[in-house]
Formats: sequence, C-alpha cells, structure tokens
Amino acid sequence: MSPSYAPETTGTECLICHVQNSQDAVLCGNCSAPMAIVHDSIAQGRSPQLVSIVGESNVGKTVYLGFLLDMLAQRAGDFEAVPKGAYSIDLQQTVINHLAHRLFPPKTPMEANQWYWAYYQICKRGRHPKWIDLVMPDMAGESLAAEITTPKTFRVIHSLLTMSAGTLLLIDAGQAANGATQPDFFALKILSYIDTMFAGKRNERMRTPTAVVLCKGDYCPEVFDDPPGFVEANLNRLWNMCESRFENVAFFAASVVGSLGYATSGDVDDVVVPVPLHTALQGILEPFEWIIDQL
Amino acid sequence: MALRLLSRRQQRESAEPQQPQCSGSAGRQPRPKDLFQPAERTMLPDDELQRYVQLERYGILLSQAQRWRGNAAFRSALAQARQAIDDSFALVLDGFASLPQTINDAPGCPEIDVETAPYLLARYTVTNAQFQKFVDSGAYSDLDLWPRDVWPHLIDFKDQTGQHAPRFWREACHDRRLADHPVVGVCFYEADAYARWAGYRLPTEAEWQMAASWRIRSAAHVFRRYPWGDALDKQRCNIWASGLATTAPVREYASGAAPNGVLQLVGNVWEWTSSDFEVMDEDERPIVGDMLMKSIRGGAFDTYFPAQATSYFRTGQACLVRAHNTGFRCALDIDGDDR
Repeated sequence: MSPSYAPETTGTECLICHVQNSQDAVLCGNCSAPMAIVHDSIAQGRSPQLVSIVGESNVGKTVYLGFLLDMLAQRAGDFEAVPKGAYSIDLQQTVINHLAHRLFPPKTPMEANQWYWAYYQICKRGRHPKWIDLVMPDMAGESLAAEITTPKTFRVIHSLLTMSAGTLLLIDAGQAANGATQPDFFALKILSYIDTMFAGKRNERMRTPTAVVLCKGDYCPEVFDDPPGFVEANLNRLWNMCESRFENVAFFAASVVGSLGYATSGDVDDVVVPVPLHTALQGILEPFEWIIDQL
Repeated sequence: MALRLLSRRQQRESAEPQQPQCSGSAGRQPRPKDLFQPAERTMLPDDELQRYVQLERYGILLSQAQRWRGNAAFRSALAQARQAIDDSFALVLDGFASLPQTINDAPGCPEIDVETAPYLLARYTVTNAQFQKFVDSGAYSDLDLWPRDVWPHLIDFKDQTGQHAPRFWREACHDRRLADHPVVGVCFYEADAYARWAGYRLPTEAEWQMAASWRIRSAAHVFRRYPWGDALDKQRCNIWASGLATTAPVREYASGAAPNGVLQLVGNVWEWTSSDFEVMDEDERPIVGDMLMKSIRGGAFDTYFPAQATSYFRTGQACLVRAHNTGFRCALDIDGDDR
C-alpha cells in the first residue's frame, strides 16, 4: 500500500504507517510521524525512500545524522542535497550549534512526536546523476530498545523499519573494544527484530542494504584499520548473524569527535560531563554513500 | 558468502598508502590505489659526524660542536648545519600570547597573557622523510630519548606491521609518495623524542600562538586570527572546507604563511606542543582526559568548524594518542653559544 498523490478530499494518508489523518493534522495520530513529510512528498509528486539509523542509546545516532545532513548540505563528496521544509534543517542545526560550542546535543526524547525528521532530495553526481528523495528520522535509542524488546510499543519504529530501503546500524566501537558485550547483544537484537519482521524463509536472507557503522572511533582508532576484522573479533554474535541472515552488509568505521575531555570538579558526587574538544570527521559519508549506491 | 566482507588478509594485501583521509570533502584528491610503495631506508655512514649530517641532526651538531672540533670535516659540517637551520627555521619575535582559560572563548572570558621570548620555529612540520631518519637511526631503541615512565608504552609505538614506526607506516617505512607530507600517527612522546634527537624541542603552546597570531611587541598591537590576517580563506589552508580531505605536502599553501614565512600553522595537521592542556568549562570546572593531555594547535585537514582552526583556538589530545591528523614542528632557542 502506498500513499496516493492525487488531491485528497477526505484525509491524508501517513507515509509511514498508512493510516488516514485529517488534512490539517500536524502529526499522524497513529504513529506521530510529521504529516509535513506527506504534504511535501505530494507536492514533489514523488514517493520518498526511508533510511533508518538505528543503534542503542548514546551511540551517537543524533550526532552522526546531524553531521551527515550538514555535510550533504555543503555538497560533501559527490553529493548535492536539498532540504524539503524547515523541519528538515532543525536536526543538523541543533547538532552543529552544540558541537561548535563543544557540547553534545540533548538526548533524543523517547516520545516519537518530539523526534527530528529530515526530508531531503539528494543527488549523487557523476556520469549518471541520481536523485533520490530520502526521509531520515532521528529515533531515540530507548524507544528502539523498548520496541525490539516489546514489539508494537512504538508502532512508528515498526513501520519505519518495515519500510526502510536501507539501514545504518551504529555500534559503539569503544565499548566493544573494551570487551563489553552490550553492543554485540543490542546489535544482535536489532538484526533479529528486522529479520523476524520480514519473516523470510530459512534459506532466504535479508537483502535490504545494511551498513554496520563502528562509531566513536576516537576511542579506538584501530577500528579504522579493519572494520570487518574488528567486528569479527569483537562483535562475533553480530558477525555470525550477518553471515547467516543478511545478504547485503558492509562494515564501516566513523568518528566525529577528535578528542574528548571531561569537565569535573573532582567531587565524588559531581556529574562528569563529556566535552567534545574538537571535531575530526572520519567515515561519516562513506556508509551513507554505500547505502545510496545500493538503492 | 555474498556479504561484502573484506577479510583481514584481503585488507592487508590491498594496503594503500595510509595517510588517512577524512570524510567527504568536496573535490577529494584521488589517492593512489596501488600497493604501498615503501621509501628507501637511510644508509648510515660509519663516521659519527657524517652520520649526524646524514640524519639531519643539525641541532645536535650545533649544540655539541666541541665533540668534533678535531674532525677535519667539522667545519663544512657546521656550515651545512647552520645553512640548513637558516633555511628551515624562522625567527619568531618576542611578544605575548593571550590564552583563553575556558573552552568557549567568547569575548570577556578569562584569559592569561604569557610572555614569549624570541625563538626559532621550523617553517614546516616534520615530514615522513625526516621522521624516516629518526626511525632508521634506531631511536625507538635508544632509551635515553624516552622518559622512563613511557618505556612500558614503547612496545605500542608500532606501525601496521608491528615495527617501531608511526602508526600508518608499514615495515618501518613510509610510503614514498607521501615523503613530503607531515608525519602523522605519532604520539606526543614520539614527537618530543624526535625533536630532542634532532637537537631541537617542541614549541610551548604560547610560543606556537605567538607565531600564528604574530602579536609582537609594537605600537600597532596587531593580533591575527590567522597567520595571514583576520579573515578565513580556505584557499590558504587545508581544513575540511578546503576540500582536499587528506594531508598536503608541507611546503604547500604558501599564501597562508605567517609574516616570517612559517607555513601551515593553521590547517593540514594539528601540532603537538610541549604544554599541558589546562582549560576549564564555563562553570570553571577543570577539563581532564583519560590520561595526561597535551595542547595541540592549528586544526587539521578534517577540522569541520573553521573556528577550531585559528591562531588562538585551544584544544588538547591525550599524550599517547597516535592520531591520523596530528603531527608536529620543531622549535629552537636562539641563545645557544654556537648559533
């Protein structure tokens, strides 16, 4: 089922969950996706594709997506990008403003009606320029965790992952390198959720392009030397899941922060605040470019 | 398996010159896609004086001149050393640097003024070719060059093949196509050891800022935001917005030189200084790292925010980090008796 691009008289169908909403609805009453995306896509006369950025809380999804959008807007690499609507710029503005002042942006709220969404027309220049309409929401890690643990807690997440033409799975490389099993288990849960959602046959593997992005490379620079080797060695459950069930997977490493400090008064009770001292972008564009090449 | 998985072996076999790139600047410079091309090792003569000349340890030649006074070749070696230092170092006049004390250096934030004496600063950052001589001389095994508390970490100062060398080298060699690029993948201690090995030192943070901001003592009381003036010009430096996305040879961006001819103080690679990184946040809480942090200055090819690549922007890096975007340049005092 896909949204109709003919003039509507009775209501507007949500692009994400396909539920009918009143024409003046700002957010979908069912899944809380902004209806502006639907109006913009109708105005464009094109159906946008969805790219999901998933990962556990604090892995850096918001920062990654904010920088990615800002780089696209600055025509990084072979890309040209046009934001559709002011709401599409809010995320990158928030992220850039915070990092420029050496602060991390606030955590994405769990409530879907408070998430940032970005709707961009993206062109990959080259011999055969390719224009794609993309919608990329900034999902909260806690909401993702709740949905994969208890499906249908967040219908919007289920709908988004069902519709995604590509997925970027972000993993905290620093934690994984330190021997923590949490990143491995969380990645395994997400992939298992996606795999179950598509309920393919036993021998049929998921074909949706999935970019596994090892984030926070500044904690663990070795990850840039050999991302697949790092996953095989440090995230073996994820590696095996990819081998068994996902046909189109690529591994990348990324980093935004060049150096991290901590503000602390030294008191035992004092909160330690991480301070991104400067930026050093590595590997932000590459996984996205790979996804775009697959679409 | 249909997965796009590169095995580690495949990755090693397809090794490219590893002067790392940043993410997606426009107009990326094409990187050679063929295999790593190792530079030749330095052939070291038996004669100690000639060896010092060959290794370009000119600072040592000048400061320890009395060691070779009886050597027939000393006069020409000394002349060569003096000429090399004249060519590769520039005078930074005395002045003072105002160091912001908080991370957000907005107008009115606390600063301290640090007086700097006149000194010589290398016009260029140390290149891969220069650092090759340090590696070939066996400096990583010379414990006198390394502080005692770093000795346990020396085994970590290895290249991609496990040899003592900067992080992105292979078999203790740089890629010869990157010979004139700044050496990167060296921690503070490697930078400091090189400088002392060659007879120089690292500049302090205040000295570095003095060189980049050119705040000399004069009636004009000039303070430059960039070595060339006050306005950002991405054609004069190599930052993210410049679009190169990797390091440039150390003699490029001549139009971005400081008044005394020192190049690339802003952009290309961050530069280690000898100063500890000591700043506070806006609530005056000290900012610390996982380990001792040293001040690095100037921004690099992957610095996204132009405001982080200026003459006064302060940041730090943990002293053992061997980053892809951090190199160094040497400094030299001018009060030596033989200079």
